[in-house]
Amino acid sequence: MNKFMEVLENILMPIADKLNNNRYLTALRNGFMVALPFIIFGSIFVVIANFPFLDQWISESAYEAYQAALGPASASTLSIMGLFVIIGIGYKLTEHYGGESIYGGAVALASFLILTPQVIDFETANKTVEQVGGVIPTASLGAEGMFLGIFTAFIAAELYRFFVEKDWTIKMPAGVPEAVSRSFSALIPITLTLTSFLIVRIIFSYTPFDTVQNFIYTLIQEPLTALGSGLPATLVAVLLIQLFWFFGLHGQIIVNSVFDPIWYALNNQNLDAFNAGQELPNIVTKQFIDTFIVGIGGSGMTLAVIIGIFLIGRSRQLKELGKLGAPAGIFNVNEPVIFGLPIIMNPLVIIPWLIAPVIVTFVTYFAMASGMVPYPNGVIVPWTTPTVLSGFLATGNSWQGGALQLVNIAIVFVIWWPFLKIMDKQYYENEHSAEEERNESVNM
Amino acid sequence: MKHILLACSAGMSTSLLVSKMKEAAEAKGIEAEIWAVAQDKAPKEMERADVLLIGPQMRFMKKKFSKTAEEVGIPLDVIDPVSYGRVDGAAVLNKALELMGE
Repeated sequence: MNKFMEVLENILMPIADKLNNNRYLTALRNGFMVALPFIIFGSIFVVIANFPFLDQWISESAYEAYQAALGPASASTLSIMGLFVIIGIGYKLTEHYGGESIYGGAVALASFLILTPQVIDFETANKTVEQVGGVIPTASLGAEGMFLGIFTAFIAAELYRFFVEKDWTIKMPAGVPEAVSRSFSALIPITLTLTSFLIVRIIFSYTPFDTVQNFIYTLIQEPLTALGSGLPATLVAVLLIQLFWFFGLHGQIIVNSVFDPIWYALNNQNLDAFNAGQELPNIVTKQFIDTFIVGIGGSGMTLAVIIGIFLIGRSRQLKELGKLGAPAGIFNVNEPVIFGLPIIMNPLVIIPWLIAPVIVTFVTYFAMASGMVPYPNGVIVPWTTPTVLSGFLATGNSWQGGALQLVNIAIVFVIWWPFLKIMDKQYYENEHSAEEERNESVNM
Repeated sequence: MKHILLACSAGMSTSLLVSKMKEAAEAKGIEAEIWAVAQDKAPKEMERADVLLIGPQMRFMKKKFSKTAEEVGIPLDVIDPVSYGRVDGAAVLNKALELMGE
């Protein structure tokens, strides 16, 4: 067993190392972090705008006015989250290279806008379709443009750095204020970067894809999100999160750096459909994972383990752990349980640790597919939100979301029960024999 | 005054440890500023720290942080998982002092 674990850790550690020290994935992760406060701000107002039963309490026109008044909060943040991710990536990648990061962010944004469609189809009263110019479709800045935005931000930041390093800058004579010469020094790299993207846009307008966004969306984003929204890929992601944590490595941060673009794109598809009053397309989204699989007391849904400890714990070690882990666990921080139980490298817990989330993933998926629980509607709930409340919020203010989380806790609890019992007994006996030894030595 | 920096993924679980370490420092009569940050903030925060301790779940970041730590000239290490799980402030504080060569 030890040999096997050693081999496995020798495989996982380099993967974690590679994924986390890769400058693009780091920039991507930090880019999402830049976007997060805006995403959550928008989510809060989606929740308030769709307050339960409100549509029955007030008149239809008052409800419509109420929703219209709050609409811009999420329309300017959550719905167009791609923009913030792009600025974040451009900024962070340029910062990584030691360049002027604010220009890196701005140049990434402009490059993305150059590649973005700038017309929308508009259906006139007599059913003909006209193209309206002077607009940027908001879907391009959210769900549909997510992958293009990420790639563009990487390439724009790289090109910008390349042109800065070429040093084809306009040199100002001595005596010119530094701020003035700095604004000129950014001019040439920015001009060259943006021109490159403009050329790409023009080339694509002569292909059947018409726009670069359409090209990336059809060839990369759509297949990947279709794959990512299925059960098999979701189970792989969930198992990887668990496996990394088993070796004491932060599972989500490693897996998310690959899956986040997919999960957020799926999430925003649901949000767009929700806002348009259409049927939600996806079960698996960012919130499916965060709220129902990971976020019940932390990875591995350890809130159920803490409850188990309170119910059956006789050993001092588990009781102490329960007291320590419960307050943090309510807010989905579970490092005390992971390192204290311990879960890491503990052969006894590997079975419930790996099996429980898989079963919960199935149950959650089918509870939603069968219509018992609404799909996640696209709001992003902060991961520290306590269980039940987070389920309620993630499913568009419906109690079934919270109830499903309780069912999930019960499932995890049942799977863990026998293993927790064995562990508790071992600890209890160890503590007892240690005490007896001490008593004996005192007597002598 | 000692400046002890802790880093984990979001700065949440290490901040749990920070409060325990502060208690331990007070009990020992050591004047120390102890604070926790998310991993992406760590390189910047290192400039005003005397030592960096990394949460064991982020131990794969050690190599990356080592470069910055070398530049600013501070020691760093990964927190021992057992002390981390027990939220053992005193043990981690001792580790920090040891690293600083006290």
